[in-house]
Amino acid sequence: MKGTVYLNDKTGIVVIGATGREASQVIKESETLYPGIIKAGITPGKGGSSELPVPVFDTLKEAVKDPKVGKLLNTALIYVPPVSVLDAVMECLDNGIKVLYIITEHVPIRDSEVIYQEKVRRGAIIVGGTSLGCFVPSVGRIGAIGGKDPTVAFRDGGIVVISKSGGLTVTTAEMFKRRGWGTYMALAIGGDIISNTTYADVLQEIKGDSRVKGVAMLGEPGGSYEEQVADLIMSGGFDKPVAAFISGRFQERMPEGVAFGHAGAIVERGMGKATDKIARLEAAGKKYPVKVAFYYHDLVKAIESLGVPRDFEDSTTEHVKPLYSTF
Amino acid sequence: MKLYEHEALGSIFKKYKIPVPRYVFSAEMNDAVRQFVDKEPGVVIKSMVLVGKRGKAGAVKVVSDKSQVEKVFSDLATREVYGERSIGALVEEKLDIEKEFYLSVTYSTKDRAPAIIFSEHGGMDVEEIDPKLIHTYVVSDVRSVYPYQIRQFLAGIGFSDKELLRPLSEVIVNVYNAFWGSESRLLEINPLVVARSGDKRKIVAADAVVILDDDASVNPAVVYGARSAQGRPLTQREQDAILIDQGDHRGKAGSYVELDGDIAMMTFGGGGSTVTAETAIEAGLRIANLTDIGGNPPAEKMYRISRIILSKPGLKGVLVCGGTASNTRIDVTLGEGLAKALDDMNAEGKLDKNLVWVVRRSGPEYVKGLKMLHECFVRNGIRGEIYDSQLPITEAPIRLKELLIKHIAYKPEEVV
Repeated sequence: MKGTVYLNDKTGIVVIGATGREASQVIKESETLYPGIIKAGITPGKGGSSELPVPVFDTLKEAVKDPKVGKLLNTALIYVPPVSVLDAVMECLDNGIKVLYIITEHVPIRDSEVIYQEKVRRGAIIVGGTSLGCFVPSVGRIGAIGGKDPTVAFRDGGIVVISKSGGLTVTTAEMFKRRGWGTYMALAIGGDIISNTTYADVLQEIKGDSRVKGVAMLGEPGGSYEEQVADLIMSGGFDKPVAAFISGRFQERMPEGVAFGHAGAIVERGMGKATDKIARLEAAGKKYPVKVAFYYHDLVKAIESLGVPRDFEDSTTEHVKPLYSTF
Repeated sequence: MKLYEHEALGSIFKKYKIPVPRYVFSAEMNDAVRQFVDKEPGVVIKSMVLVGKRGKAGAVKVVSDKSQVEKVFSDLATREVYGERSIGALVEEKLDIEKEFYLSVTYSTKDRAPAIIFSEHGGMDVEEIDPKLIHTYVVSDVRSVYPYQIRQFLAGIGFSDKELLRPLSEVIVNVYNAFWGSESRLLEINPLVVARSGDKRKIVAADAVVILDDDASVNPAVVYGARSAQGRPLTQREQDAILIDQGDHRGKAGSYVELDGDIAMMTFGGGGSTVTAETAIEAGLRIANLTDIGGNPPAEKMYRISRIILSKPGLKGVLVCGGTASNTRIDVTLGEGLAKALDDMNAEGKLDKNLVWVVRRSGPEYVKGLKMLHECFVRNGIRGEIYDSQLPITEAPIRLKELLIKHIAYKPEEVV
């Protein structure tokens, strides 16, 4: 198998909520860049529609029974409104789809909890909510990650980027690419409080994959998923180099409860602060190959100092000139 | 969104049969309060604020001498508690308290499940309770929560008051059901008291803290009215911003918080926004407002939030900053939405030409979008620099600082 459990050369995608504004744009773009990876779309009431470059069905059940595409479907990309996400997840799980991405933001926490417990019971892999998708340069992509021209940010290499923030997943891959490291996989896990796939879940999945040379993780205040990485590493559960950046130290100077960024990034009741996470990861770094970057752009130095080999040449220029200046 | 105690009692505790003291809430002294006080031998009066630790601030008072009620009420109903103005006062029956417990339900990210947190040693701040005396029951199957499970949990932690096992387990399940049914993020009762009533004992919630999920299936801001998480009333611009996303889930542009500074932050993406704001603060820029725009909002949302961001008085600079967007169209957000806001504000004479701008953005249609924004800068006489992702994201605020110092002699904050 080429790729990871999240995205590989056997991945066949069905998009739930396919004819919506965002989803239809993603499907069209994906068909241009990686033709054939998306096999079908679902929108109740739009079955048989020819507005998309893939067949559209009213229900997922019809799609999985379709003689042409049915057997190829194993991964769902969910683009429905927040209150419909739970329904979409159950439709996928009940129709045998085992890898799901929830792209929708603002899923009610209670629904996220029901989804997580169902996922555990059924042994499925669910990424999100608020995921941007997954990118494996040697295989292709799921979702909008990387936009119209993913070659700007992504080139095949040995770094795994894991981030709650979708935007920073791409921005980080691009920063590394400019400095000579390519991406093996970039996964935007989303910043929801109840996260179906955490950093530690990903590390456990990829720990035996020889193509992984190093991990760049982007963390945020709130919850304990970053701390769980430190615990996993300290218990011997992952031994490859990990460079981490935890944003949000400045929030600690703001009143408690100020919501900023993702739903999970709310610092409440003195738990899950950026400084707590940094301290735990730094403690792991005393014995294991873990480095916390003080500034975001120091992630590159951290990966370098952990001895992760470059995949290609550093292409940075000394001084960046503006595209336009009106001074 | 956090609820006031009287809101939690009236709308949630009552519905889920959580026993509470007799109470009345009022913004000012009136006949309802007087009649209530007349029937009670003694009362507890509490300032109604969202901020915690009211007791320590002297905003909770026991009044047994009825001649003092009017005076205490009018003080507590209007006073400021840690800078937050009280919206009224809650008057409750004075309980004959035998014991105080701590009880809360919240999501544990360690277990990725709701957790019921209980201690026999309540009444003080939860941070002050010895962690060894705090016990957690994780709800690993939300489909079925029964009192017997709670009794097994209580027996397991050595809960000694056998007479209370059944009633306490039933109250705890009601509290859990209230948490789950109302779509809370946190439901906390501290103290949950055992009170004597004649020769009987009863369990009563003597406090109520409820934080609802802002993303709940029913939007709490619609039910209870929008409020600031900062414990202060929302500014007009913050209220206007909330309206942007209501009834339209295409992208998000209405997350807007005001601070005291002079640099407007038009930032994109949860992570990108946080990283940019963080670096701006480290660089000594004083932030005037924070935004977190994402999910490819349509041009009209960008137009509205742009006008709100730029209408804050006293601005000196503007940072438009985001990473390499995957989905958000740069031509739509910056080339159309922001540019139209600038055109209109200039036509209305509301655009400050002394502002210094730095734009750093990449993503779908960025070449076109940044060019459109540059043309807008030129036709409106706006001074700034526009970058794509060649400039590392965290260097954009540093570049803005350099330009502010050079062009308007900006004095950055000294950062330790």
